[in-house]
Amino acid sequence: MTQMLGNFIRALRASDVRVSISESIDAGRTAELVGFEDREILKSALSQVLAKTDEEEFAFNSVFDRYFSFEKIRSPAANDGTPEDGNQDDNASDNTSEEDDSSESDESESQGQGGPPGSGGGAGGQSEKSENASEQEAQASPDLLELLERGDTAALQQALAEAGQNARIDRIRLFTQRGMYVRRIMEDMGLEGLEMEIERATDKDEDRVDYIRGLRDGLREQVRDYVERQLDLYTANAGQQLREEVLSRVRLTNVDRRDMRLMQGLVRKMAKRLVALNSRRRKKDIRGALNFRKTIRRNIAHDGIMFDIHWKQKKIDRPKLVAICDVSGSVSSYAHFLLMFLYSLQEVLPKVRAFAFSGELGEVTDLFKTQDLETAIGETLKIYGSGSTDYGRAFEELERTVLDDIDHRTTVIILGDGRSNNADPRADILKVVHARAKRVLWLNPEPKSMWGTGDSEMKSLAAYCDSAATCTSLKDLERVVSDILRKG
Amino acid sequence: MSIQRQEIEAIREGFSKSGYICNTHIATAIFLAQKLQKPILVEGPPGVGKTELAKATAEFLSLPLIRLQCYEGLDESKALYEWKYGKQLLYTQVLKEKLGDLMEGAEGLTESLARLHDFDDTFFSEDFLEPRPLLKALWEENGSVLLIDEIDKSDDEFEAFLLELLSDYQISIPELGTIKARSAPIVFLTSNNSRELGDALKRRCIHLYIPFPESELEQKIIAARVPEIDEGLRKQLVAFVQGLRGEDLKKHPAVSETIDWARTLLLLHAKELDADLVRNTLNILLKFQDDIENIDGELNALVSKARGA
Repeated sequence: MTQMLGNFIRALRASDVRVSISESIDAGRTAELVGFEDREILKSALSQVLAKTDEEEFAFNSVFDRYFSFEKIRSPAANDGTPEDGNQDDNASDNTSEEDDSSESDESESQGQGGPPGSGGGAGGQSEKSENASEQEAQASPDLLELLERGDTAALQQALAEAGQNARIDRIRLFTQRGMYVRRIMEDMGLEGLEMEIERATDKDEDRVDYIRGLRDGLREQVRDYVERQLDLYTANAGQQLREEVLSRVRLTNVDRRDMRLMQGLVRKMAKRLVALNSRRRKKDIRGALNFRKTIRRNIAHDGIMFDIHWKQKKIDRPKLVAICDVSGSVSSYAHFLLMFLYSLQEVLPKVRAFAFSGELGEVTDLFKTQDLETAIGETLKIYGSGSTDYGRAFEELERTVLDDIDHRTTVIILGDGRSNNADPRADILKVVHARAKRVLWLNPEPKSMWGTGDSEMKSLAAYCDSAATCTSLKDLERVVSDILRKG
Repeated sequence: MSIQRQEIEAIREGFSKSGYICNTHIATAIFLAQKLQKPILVEGPPGVGKTELAKATAEFLSLPLIRLQCYEGLDESKALYEWKYGKQLLYTQVLKEKLGDLMEGAEGLTESLARLHDFDDTFFSEDFLEPRPLLKALWEENGSVLLIDEIDKSDDEFEAFLLELLSDYQISIPELGTIKARSAPIVFLTSNNSRELGDALKRRCIHLYIPFPESELEQKIIAARVPEIDEGLRKQLVAFVQGLRGEDLKKHPAVSETIDWARTLLLLHAKELDADLVRNTLNILLKFQDDIENIDGELNALVSKARGA
């Protein structure tokens, strides 16, 4: 049972549910407490102990259903094989080779095979004969053959699960490993005995050989099925995780079009995490600054003796953000991601004003608020993306429309390459903005060595930024933004 | 039926006797909390009965309910304990007068110090401790139900401070040392998710999410809370509220609002729903003017759908 639960938790982790060690211990105690008989209660109880958010609960439900469905699927299939049910439906589809010749052992075999993929054999045979056969074979080869012939589904299942454990099926990672695991499990279950039995019967009893081969192939099908299911369970998310990891390091301009969707999810995840981490209104004590009035008032009751001392406190609010994004041709592939990020940020932070420009500067906050991501970005690029960059004009527009709204709580982020096509970049406006705003940040897709070359005005503009940094991958972006949020 | 299921069903029935109707999922959480001695973190939209659950549990187990309402700026002197400063002051003055008697005949500083040492040190002792909700809950002899309401409203420092209490049922008072629970309380934490709670806190709790109830459950709740209401009207009003939850609204009506509405309809002697009646009483269900205006166009359709149910 412990092993079973352990594997279940491993499967949960593979599906992005974070399970700590203490939670696994709780799960163990819970399972002990409620038992495995009542599925519904087990599911309720385990989900309460293991899944701690909506998303986790969703993942939990699907993993639980898949993981514990194993036995559920089995048992009705096994019932199909019992003599009362007859086996007409199943045998039509498979193992026609032995249908004609092995009538004496059909019944036991079909029981043994259980599920549709494995079940071979014809319509219910005579029971005396099959008993006969199993008696004979019982001495000849141990366990496995006997199990198969007796059709003891429960025991077979258990043997399969045990063999799976011995083969460390929970470590399966790649689909190419399937063959290996099937082989290992088969061997562990006693494949050798079967093969020997086949060899022994060769030349003497052709029917018998075919029959055992049929059993063996049926079992193999079943094991393969089992391995497939386990693979599905333990690696549900691994591929995606790997891909996301790689994507977050790759340069933004080099991302394939087909990865865009995944990237969007990643960007949103990141923005959400960053904001969740930092959005709490933090109170910070500043030791050393006594709140004199409050202290006196608090201590009147104590004869004016200072028992209860109060310090001045400082509250840090969520940052107000003004983001200005260059969307001209020179940074177009990059702009797409910046806009995407801006969009996600705007979804999770309450006070973001977003602007886009190439020549003309325009506010896109409303567009972002009302449209979905694709449309919003498309529209933005269509309206503002056609002109050639002119930082001077953009800053003039900024001064006219937004400057009043920029105060000591505002962080201004400028996304662009700082190439102004030889027009005056109006660094003086940026200077004013810098003086009023809490912080001015510049994120530039070009490496620092390129700044100031050609028509780049970065050198003069960077002087009025609290920080100007190169930002080429999602990881960079995450670092910079987390920095903003942390310093409020 | 397994023994566990019987126990869980017993909890569910016990709750329904005290007027709290719930499903097996919720009852399972209470069962686990009792057996594993772990706090329950209850999440869900406002008005689905998170706080009620704690009250019902207290009633069911006949334990005292101790409630701590969280808010920004809540600190340990309001949640845990406070020294009775006034009494301490008086004590020091009494001590001053006694000092002369105590020191009589003492020779030299060493002996005086030794005598002072032998004297009872009660300045920081439980006598001068003013217990606040958390400490009260730990001091209850026969256990209690501790409700820490809206934990998401408190600061994260307070959340961290709770961790010791939640995992070991003990707290540390610097002047006295560790105080252990006389009997472990059943702890409920509720959250509206106005901020993400820390992983450490979540890890220590059983997590229970209470969504809006299904139609059938909601009918049972109304039947239990407003028993005077006629069955046909009950069906209609629940169907209408369920319909409202399917619409795009700023705030969806919760169970508590359904109950209020049922009481309103009862007061108005309504026999069945009609568009005018609903329009006039809609402000009980919807708390935003925007929502009321938005829904107006679809009101007739919703009402006729509810009447069909």
